[in-house]
Amino acid sequence: MSTLTDSRKLELRRELESIVGRGAVLSDPDELMVYESDGLTLFRALADFIVFPTSAQHVSAIVKLANRESIPFVARGAGTGLSGGCLPAEGGIVISLMRMSKVLEVDYENQIAVVEPGLVNLHLSWKVGPRGYYYAPDPSSQQACTIGGNIANNSGGPHTLKYGVTTNHVLGLEVVMPDGEIVWLGGKTREACGYDLAGVFVGSEGTFGIATRIVVRILKKPQAVKTVLAVFDAIDQASAAVSAIIARGLVPAAMEMIDHLTIQAVEDAFNCGYPRDADAALLIELDGLAVGMDVQAEHIVEACRESGAREVRTARSEAERQLLWKGRKSAFGAYGRVSPAYMVMDGVIPRTKLPYVLRRVNEIVAAAGLRVGNVFHAGDGNLHPNILYDPRKPGEEARVVAAGAEIMKVCADVGGSISGEHGIGLEKADFMPFIFSAADLLFMQRLKSAFNPRGLCNPGKVFPTKKSCVEVGPVAYRPHAIEEKGLAQRF
Amino acid sequence: MPDALLDKLRAAVGSANVLTGIELSPYVVEGRTPEAAIFPGSIEEVAAVMALASEVGRSVTPWGGGTAASVGMPTAGAGLILGLRRMSRLLDHEPGDLTATAEAGMTVDAFQTALRSRGQWLSLDPADADRATMGGVVATNAYGPRRHLYGTARDLLIGVTVVTADGSVVKGGGKVVKNVAGYDLPKLFIGSYGSLGVIVEATVKLRPLPEQEELVSVRFDRLKDAGAAVKAVAASDLIPNAVELLDGGAAAGAGLAAGATGSSTPGAALVVGFDGVREQVDWQRAELARLTGPLGGRDVRPLNAATWPRLGPAARAAFATPAAVMTLAALPTQVAEVMEQGAEMARARGLQSAWAAHAGVGVIRAAIGSDPAPKDLGAIAAVLAEWREMVHAGGGHAHLEWAPLAVKSQVPVWDDPGAAGRIMERIKAQLDPRNILNPGRFVAGI
Repeated sequence: MSTLTDSRKLELRRELESIVGRGAVLSDPDELMVYESDGLTLFRALADFIVFPTSAQHVSAIVKLANRESIPFVARGAGTGLSGGCLPAEGGIVISLMRMSKVLEVDYENQIAVVEPGLVNLHLSWKVGPRGYYYAPDPSSQQACTIGGNIANNSGGPHTLKYGVTTNHVLGLEVVMPDGEIVWLGGKTREACGYDLAGVFVGSEGTFGIATRIVVRILKKPQAVKTVLAVFDAIDQASAAVSAIIARGLVPAAMEMIDHLTIQAVEDAFNCGYPRDADAALLIELDGLAVGMDVQAEHIVEACRESGAREVRTARSEAERQLLWKGRKSAFGAYGRVSPAYMVMDGVIPRTKLPYVLRRVNEIVAAAGLRVGNVFHAGDGNLHPNILYDPRKPGEEARVVAAGAEIMKVCADVGGSISGEHGIGLEKADFMPFIFSAADLLFMQRLKSAFNPRGLCNPGKVFPTKKSCVEVGPVAYRPHAIEEKGLAQRF
Repeated sequence: MPDALLDKLRAAVGSANVLTGIELSPYVVEGRTPEAAIFPGSIEEVAAVMALASEVGRSVTPWGGGTAASVGMPTAGAGLILGLRRMSRLLDHEPGDLTATAEAGMTVDAFQTALRSRGQWLSLDPADADRATMGGVVATNAYGPRRHLYGTARDLLIGVTVVTADGSVVKGGGKVVKNVAGYDLPKLFIGSYGSLGVIVEATVKLRPLPEQEELVSVRFDRLKDAGAAVKAVAASDLIPNAVELLDGGAAAGAGLAAGATGSSTPGAALVVGFDGVREQVDWQRAELARLTGPLGGRDVRPLNAATWPRLGPAARAAFATPAAVMTLAALPTQVAEVMEQGAEMARARGLQSAWAAHAGVGVIRAAIGSDPAPKDLGAIAAVLAEWREMVHAGGGHAHLEWAPLAVKSQVPVWDDPGAAGRIMERIKAQLDPRNILNPGRFVAGI
């Protein structure tokens, strides 16, 4: 809890207002509640202040003030994160970047854009779309999540199978360091000088500083796109099809799997055209040159049929394609039709281990007396088991958390990872030893010390630590404010 | 070197794997002879060597194929060479996962040969692939023309195992293609020139071998027109895997022209690579001809596949004895202008230069010739400084890829990283507190 006296709080509020202006600082407990968690509502903590800077100079001044007062601070975008990564430090400052949301510059010839961190991911593609360009990383929350948040988590999305994750699209960043200094890491050119600090910064979950300007690559929209839906009577066949497609030397732009339970939920909610009786479906997208695409699509169809697909069809129109993708991207919201709550897992496994791990996931969840829906990036082995539960039933949430830990262990044991795109945050900090040794973690701690020696910048994240000062355990699920507004869903 | 230390090193790796005296000649860099060259055969042996070196404060230079041994500022002390040649196995290749792990001392060629037998490849094509090692390629961020489409090590390296300065073994990343657990240590080690740890294993993402691949050249009378063609290609629907721009000298250096090497051959060549299924390659070649014709492009023709590895070193190869080679990074649209202006700067000081660029990504290499007669060092240094200033003015970067010591003493190898340099120094201080890994070789005196 906050250690500041009320009068000291008032003084600090005035000082923050002198930096960012009145109307850009929140300290009323009701207002602070909105920021008490991110998309993972299991963890909650109350900050003392929420501050809305509009420039790097503002951010720098806030950070310097926090240093002077030894107050922890956490940067926050849209709050759609799913690992508690931007959970406030109790009694700290939340620096919301939502008023820094401009596209500052677009250089179409060089295919780069300079943006502020609070820019919503999809808004960049909207901005450059009319000229035939787009921003490739496409997390399912892209209608709400910010580029700054994507930087912190090194976010992915369905099309990262072919185009890579956030880090592959970031050339440089202006960063307010944890001591308040403003520094450029990387720049607009492809090669920079010295260590790849921009590369190290991306995915550091807000513990290395606060990005205030970001240089990203924008890509030309492909000449042609083809979307194939393959329907299977057994999920193992769908897993085999993923391997068969790769074995044929094809790398689709996206390859997503949707299981039986999820199809039910999606069809109830949106009627997207997925067969209700299927055990699993694969949504496969090819993009690139128009010439040669039919040949490649034919290979995909054959690979699916040979793996036992009972039906393989190609979207005949853009409308049909959009509908299929709506089913995929809205799956998380659709779980609301079949369960009062769910918790999403994020693990990665070698693609060849898909059949085994999916079986294990089902066994683990069944043993916990719960149900699971799977909708995930099959092409790169990034699983998202969604465990359904009822938070009103005593003990159920704890069983979900325990099953989640067990699933992460399975991912680790087959040579995978405990996070593909959601980050470690607070949620998985204690799972880090599943995949990293004490020496690995010490090395990472030292790297952190080079950026964040006082540890005031987003404390308590990433590394195994005692979850003191944070409400953990049987907290009843309630939707986050942005979910209630329909701005985001958990995925 | 004290005999006691030598004995301990011999005990750690076996006496046959410790070279001293005359045997060290292959490891003499810029006139500095190391105290010993040690060749461990396992991660444990590397760790033992590092622990010993750390204990006595001996500097260590990790050594793969030695292809980049002279890049960077001369290290402060001669110290120990830690050679990885005995660690050259393919540890793991699972085609279904499109990933593979190799020991650091495996050559790129050996790695690619193993992958190719199972229909896959690592989409990274540095020069000297017969000698360059996986660890060395990561440590020096080496790349080739195909980076245009497939990126560099930062887009392909998913896991790395490193022995740290104090001899502990650290892993970063993993074996899966998508992974955000923990800090991105692979990025930290790419291009770190052995200054933060000894890379002992690397895990990379793979791609299926394309059905077809073709390299196509288009000739231009003027470099400016070839530069316009690069922009036209970038704005088109083409998906080339390489877009190379070479001036006359570099084109000759890559074996594209009949002209004598070193001559200031007029004109320029645009060399574009395509891969995919047959129809895609055919369509793209035709489309390239259609796009470039109106811009002055002519003589569109496929090149022999043997040209690929000659493109990266083309500028340097323009001269029998180059006086210096500089790598410059600029925005892609600036490339042709940088090449023209840079050549003019050299001419103004009576020097010949040759220029080749991975034009689509704005990475340019320029060489100054010293034949037929050695040139004035002062003029060479002045031209290099002007080149650097030229790209800095456009927001770019430059580093001296190769130059004799006499030139390096006048022109800094690396750019000044500015404020970011202080973060780099703190990283170095945290991870190599005794400053034994390649001391003084890297940016900002690191």
